[in-house]
Amino acid sequence: MLYREAGQFKTNYAADQQVFPIRQDRIGIIVLLAVAFLGVPMFASAYWFSAILIPFLIFALAALGLNILTGYAGQLSLGSAAFMAVGAYAAYNFQLRIEGIPIIVSFICGGLTAAGVGILFGLPSLRIKGFYLAVATLAAQFFIVWCLTKFPWLSNNSSSGVISTQQLIIFGHELTTPVEKYLLVLSIVVVMAMAAKNLVRSSTGRAWMAVRDMDVAASVIGIKLMPTKLLAFAISSFYCGVAGALYAFCYLGSVEPDGFSLDMSFRILFMIIIGGVGSIMGSFLGAAFILLLPIFLDVALPFFAELFGLPFSSATVSHIQILVFGALIMFFLIVEPHGLARLWQIAKEKLRLWPFPH
Amino acid sequence: MSKKIGDVILDLQNISLRFGGVKALTDISFNVKEHEIRAIIGPNGAGKSSMLNVINGVYHPQEGKIFWHGKERKKMEPHMASRQNIARTFQNIALFKGMTVLDNIMTGRITKMKSNFIEHALWFGRARNEELEHRKKVEEVIDFLEIQHIRKTPVGRLPYGLQKRVELARALAAEPSMLLLDEPMAGMNVEEKQDMCRFILDVNDQYGTTIVLIEHDMGVVMDISDRVVVLDYGKKIGDGVPDEVKNNEDVIKAYLGAGH
Amino acid sequence: MNFFFEVLIGGLLSGVMYALVALGFVMIYKASGVFNFAQGAMVYMAALSVVGCIEKGAPLWLAIILAFGIMTLFGIATEKFVLRKLVNQPPIALFMATIGLAFFIEGLAPMIFGSDPRALELGIVDEPIESVLENFNMVISKFDLVAAGVAAVLVTVLALFFQYTRVGRALRAVADDHQAALSIGIPLQHIWAIVWGVAGFVALVAGMMWGARNGVQFALTFTALKALPVLILGGFTSVPGAIVGGLIIGASEKLAEIYIPPVMQDLFGGNFGGIEGWFPYVLALLFLLVRPEGLFGEKHIDRV
Repeated sequence: MLYREAGQFKTNYAADQQVFPIRQDRIGIIVLLAVAFLGVPMFASAYWFSAILIPFLIFALAALGLNILTGYAGQLSLGSAAFMAVGAYAAYNFQLRIEGIPIIVSFICGGLTAAGVGILFGLPSLRIKGFYLAVATLAAQFFIVWCLTKFPWLSNNSSSGVISTQQLIIFGHELTTPVEKYLLVLSIVVVMAMAAKNLVRSSTGRAWMAVRDMDVAASVIGIKLMPTKLLAFAISSFYCGVAGALYAFCYLGSVEPDGFSLDMSFRILFMIIIGGVGSIMGSFLGAAFILLLPIFLDVALPFFAELFGLPFSSATVSHIQILVFGALIMFFLIVEPHGLARLWQIAKEKLRLWPFPH
Repeated sequence: MSKKIGDVILDLQNISLRFGGVKALTDISFNVKEHEIRAIIGPNGAGKSSMLNVINGVYHPQEGKIFWHGKERKKMEPHMASRQNIARTFQNIALFKGMTVLDNIMTGRITKMKSNFIEHALWFGRARNEELEHRKKVEEVIDFLEIQHIRKTPVGRLPYGLQKRVELARALAAEPSMLLLDEPMAGMNVEEKQDMCRFILDVNDQYGTTIVLIEHDMGVVMDISDRVVVLDYGKKIGDGVPDEVKNNEDVIKAYLGAGH
Repeated sequence: MNFFFEVLIGGLLSGVMYALVALGFVMIYKASGVFNFAQGAMVYMAALSVVGCIEKGAPLWLAIILAFGIMTLFGIATEKFVLRKLVNQPPIALFMATIGLAFFIEGLAPMIFGSDPRALELGIVDEPIESVLENFNMVISKFDLVAAGVAAVLVTVLALFFQYTRVGRALRAVADDHQAALSIGIPLQHIWAIVWGVAGFVALVAGMMWGARNGVQFALTFTALKALPVLILGGFTSVPGAIVGGLIIGASEKLAEIYIPPVMQDLFGGNFGGIEGWFPYVLALLFLLVRPEGLFGEKHIDRV
């Protein structure tokens, strides 16, 4: 089947404004979803679910959250991990303190709590921009993690703030196997990714991008800067919050505040830089890349070391990992600032012309 | 021209604007009547753009009063101008570079949309209908300005002349009653200027939009405007119909230099 | 009251150490508009280079010279291979590139010089000054006082360099307006290379002081995190701002660490130590809400 839009004429605006205007894209997405929901559970092993697929989906969701704020609304944040922590701890506390609250509801409440905190730390964005704001978001990173460590109530009086999450019960059925957890995470991520796609193609998204591209012009057009920016902070933090709740409940099962470190925030930032700033799909591509790269290096480096007879300690491997991360970030920013998503788009454009390139 | 010029809708009285110690505007008064094309001219740095920025609330003058439809206007934020149906374009194109032409023009209608972000996220009911309804309006503007072929192009990739046109389209999409144009023809060749003149006259003619325009090309200004106000060093030195202004001593001096 | 002054002076002196790192940021930001997040990593790398060279058998003075050479070369390479290629990108892209650079350095430096924490002996002892201890009953570290002196000398040298040398004048011109500087024939790329060299030098001084005080270890990279609130407070472009900001942050953070946790303990119970991590940020943030341009920054007017 050729990837081609020729002959697919749009006769009304509704057809032109579909999520995926090209028929082949629609088919592609359906196939992808079918594989994710049906194919993968049949074939993947438990290791794949718990070590790769679940964290991939969760980080993709967090990256999506950051992308809404940074990629679409243009407000750089270095504190995404802290908002994940808020989501995780809030969801835990809702489960703990409200009798019989469904797990999904407490995830949503976790997200909403993160959104509230996000608005609070987004307030400085009304007066400061760019680097100043980026540095200001570090305040969120350090302050939130400190609070979660120091206020015993938040972690139900556990030492140093470690929490062990409650059981995942949905409609009376307890989710225990990796497959079940995977399907839960996948469903949530798919729904939220669709919602994000809708947001960014609506007037909400246009307002964000207008503020990102030129805020003075945006305000002259009639966009109120304050609610637009704060909404971006809120929704972004909501996504990060839900991702954090999933991280705690469906991935690790037990988390501590220090786990949501500045390093994790940077990793999420790297995901959107490499995946594509201002692209929903880029968030997924970037998350996959950043998660798979260390696994690849872990395997590849000792292999090459042996090949060339070099003595590689595990410390060296971890240093090389960090070095490669850094180098890749610079490489992408220089060579392809729009990331993997842009490469994908270029490939599609080539494909559209194939096999007659001229 | 057979159009009917109405009453004064915008009246600026004794406007003074300072940035720190720098005086940008000193004691300027003039008015704009409904349906007219009002030009502001003057040498570089005369305070023309500042004047537009005062009109739509980006700058706040330290002294003076502004009357809009007969009512004194309080200090207002930029985003309120569009709610009073004032739209504008900028001297250095202020398009949203990362968005397509269509999306840029759609932002012009943002204040007219009522649906909220939850509806947007679900793409349901009102949100969906609004998108379609406003898309229709935007397409009218696109047809009017003859930019159908670049609808889905990111504006960053367009040549200068087309960008200017898209910016006008964005302003028009808001269906403004007053349109502020800051050098809409700067840097254009003769053909592009002719097109732009045609669009400006058509807008004024078909929609009855009041137009306040800054322009350096005297030929254009004298041709299309109904009245002209002349600024120099932040002061008003002339005001009237093109022919009056053309023969005003002070204006000639400002343009040709005192020695001539 | 003695105790209060002891904490205050200790805080001011450690503030000087923050200012040392912040200076490196200000240098690069002033001249090239790049907010160099990798400054902390450069401090780490500089300190590692010194101990690395000493371990290979070089005496201290030679190690310092070698480290200076390494930092300068590295700075120039960074300018040439990374930042020059990003010239027309938005500032935020440059900022993210320097985050990448920080990671790059944090991987590279320990690969070359080893990652075990090591001590750096500069011959200054970290013990209380006896006369002050006897007469005022306050513990003021000799080391901190020397560090303050070094910082003062460094600032003076930089100020003189900026004010009176040809290169300094060119630097100021570039900082003011890139295009204008280019048009009067200032070679922009040379200037930027020099700036990165100087930033490397500042990192070296900071790295040696911090390394001698706390040991040469990965934690040195966190000095950047200490310097950021200083920058917000003092403004990104102001050398005096970096100094004053450093003093304010240093003093207030130490005082807060002493006086706030007990209050919170009374209110909520539990242990509330360790507020140093976020207190400077929150302080800087609150300050920004009142004065967005920082202590010494200029008020910015949006032109449209």
